Amino acid sequence: MDPAYIGFENVTKSFGTVPVVSSTNLSITRYSFVVFLGPSGCGKTTLMRMVGGLDSPSSGTIRLDGEIVSAPDRRRGMVFQSYSSFPWLTVEGNINFGMRYRNDLSVEERAARVTHYLRLIGMDDFRTSYPNRISGGMRQRVAIARTLAAGSDVLLMDEPFGALDALTRERLQVELRQIQREERKTIIFVTHDVEEAVFLADRIILFSARPARILRDIDVAAVLGPERPLEAREGEAFFRLRNEVLHMIRNETGGQR
Amino acid sequence: MASGLFTFRGKSSARADIMLGLGVAAALILAWEAVARAGFIQPQFLPAPSRVLGALWSMTTTQGLLWHAFVSTMRVWVAFLLAAAMAIPIGIMMSSYRVVGASLEPTIDFIRYLPVPALIPLSIIWFGVGEETKIFLLWLGTFFQLVLLVADDMRRVPHEYVEIAFTLGAKPRQVLTDVALRAMGPTLVDNLRITLGWCWTYLVLAEIVAADSGLGFVIWSARRYVKTPEVMAGVVVIGLIGLVTDQLLRAWHRRMFKYL
Ligand SMILES: Nc1ncnc2c1ncn2[C@@H]1O[C@H](COP(=O)(O)OP(=O)(O)OP(=O)(O)O)[C@@H](O)[C@H]1O
Ligand SMILES: [Mg+2]
Repeated sequence: MDPAYIGFENVTKSFGTVPVVSSTNLSITRYSFVVFLGPSGCGKTTLMRMVGGLDSPSSGTIRLDGEIVSAPDRRRGMVFQSYSSFPWLTVEGNINFGMRYRNDLSVEERAARVTHYLRLIGMDDFRTSYPNRISGGMRQRVAIARTLAAGSDVLLMDEPFGALDALTRERLQVELRQIQREERKTIIFVTHDVEEAVFLADRIILFSARPARILRDIDVAAVLGPERPLEAREGEAFFRLRNEVLHMIRNETGGQR
Repeated sequence: MASGLFTFRGKSSARADIMLGLGVAAALILAWEAVARAGFIQPQFLPAPSRVLGALWSMTTTQGLLWHAFVSTMRVWVAFLLAAAMAIPIGIMMSSYRVVGASLEPTIDFIRYLPVPALIPLSIIWFGVGEETKIFLLWLGTFFQLVLLVADDMRRVPHEYVEIAFTLGAKPRQVLTDVALRAMGPTLVDNLRITLGWCWTYLVLAEIVAADSGLGFVIWSARRYVKTPEVMAGVVVIGLIGLVTDQLLRAWHRRMFKYL
């Protein structure tokens, strides 16, 4: 494992005269699940978009696997909270979307991949449904499958479960964590929800209010280990860590998140 | 079945809706017939619907009404397709590339506010009184409106779709054809349908001023001899063509965008 799969080197970002990200250094290892946690409007989305190549740093560089990120490509796929799947395509069509632009896959391989990812997200029966006819949780599953099918190595997820009800959200968290381990993906995940952060993360990066600055780097994997079954959220270690993170937020960011 | 008709924002069946709409239309026509027959109003101001129907029949058999309707429809469609064929790519480009949008917007916005009737004399000076004048006037009335509507549709495509496509490996051209065009499809078709309606307004205008054929010409000629039933018959034909076209386009919209 190379130590810096994704690397931020003195990255800053301002919109006009407003500084949004103050000089940030961060390295993320391959196959890890990193959660960005921080107060509203602090610049988490902006940081993630820069990794995706959708925004560029005002100064400093972001590298992926040693290479400077300058534009979006299929190695880093985005999953948003809303408008996450294309309404004019079926579930199958959505999952197939990114593969249309790959010429290294034969028609059979594409079909096999569609089937594989449909099964992975448990939506075999909804192959020909349109996104407007399925639930919000299913739409997010489809978005995840589509990104994986396109062949992304890194998933950039900006509050993807933010609009879901608590139960659906819990299910999806378990599934996402499992998928990340099975498919060996690197994930950067932005959330407001401390419990979600602790449950999902190998590592939580806690940011200050705008302009974003790294306040804490919390090694969750060291406490909770790699496996996160649903029961993990009932364990004492989970509670203790959750409370600890909550306290950190209260003390260091003035209580907002 | 029909109970939803009376609830605030209630739902009802398509059949109930159609029956209700036709029923009201029939009632209005009957009321009109009754008023006209009662004789309070001179028939040359308000002929009964039955007389308009009679005029419709005699115009069809002796004056080639169907041919006039065909000529008008062709004019509308030629001008409309011409306007659409230009407005769709230009409108999309205006919202895709700032250079196109910034350079065209002021001019288009200016021309958009020029009243078409005011340009009729100019159009006749340029193109004479042939087909070109009519097509030009219709095009003028629709192109500049449509191009801004298309630009707006394009601007409203959620940015998320575009960015998702980029992170899935699409190139700008592919984002345009596979995402932007698909995402704007439903509103684009709606706007085309509405613009086509405007085309008919300008058609009558153009045919009144400079034509010896078409429904506008028929209406205007009948007016000269105060043949009110024929004037009304001409108007009814335009209304019917509009209604049928609109319903067909709506049906096509529903078929094409089943996912909505
Ligand atoms: N394109 C832009 N132009 C100007 N300002 C921007 C732009 N994008 C973001 N900002 C500003 O930068 C700041 C950080 O935004 P960002 O969306 O990254 O925060 P966030 O941490 O993701 O917030 P939230 O928790 O609300 O999602 C905000 O104050 C926002 O208003
Ligand atoms: Mg955000």
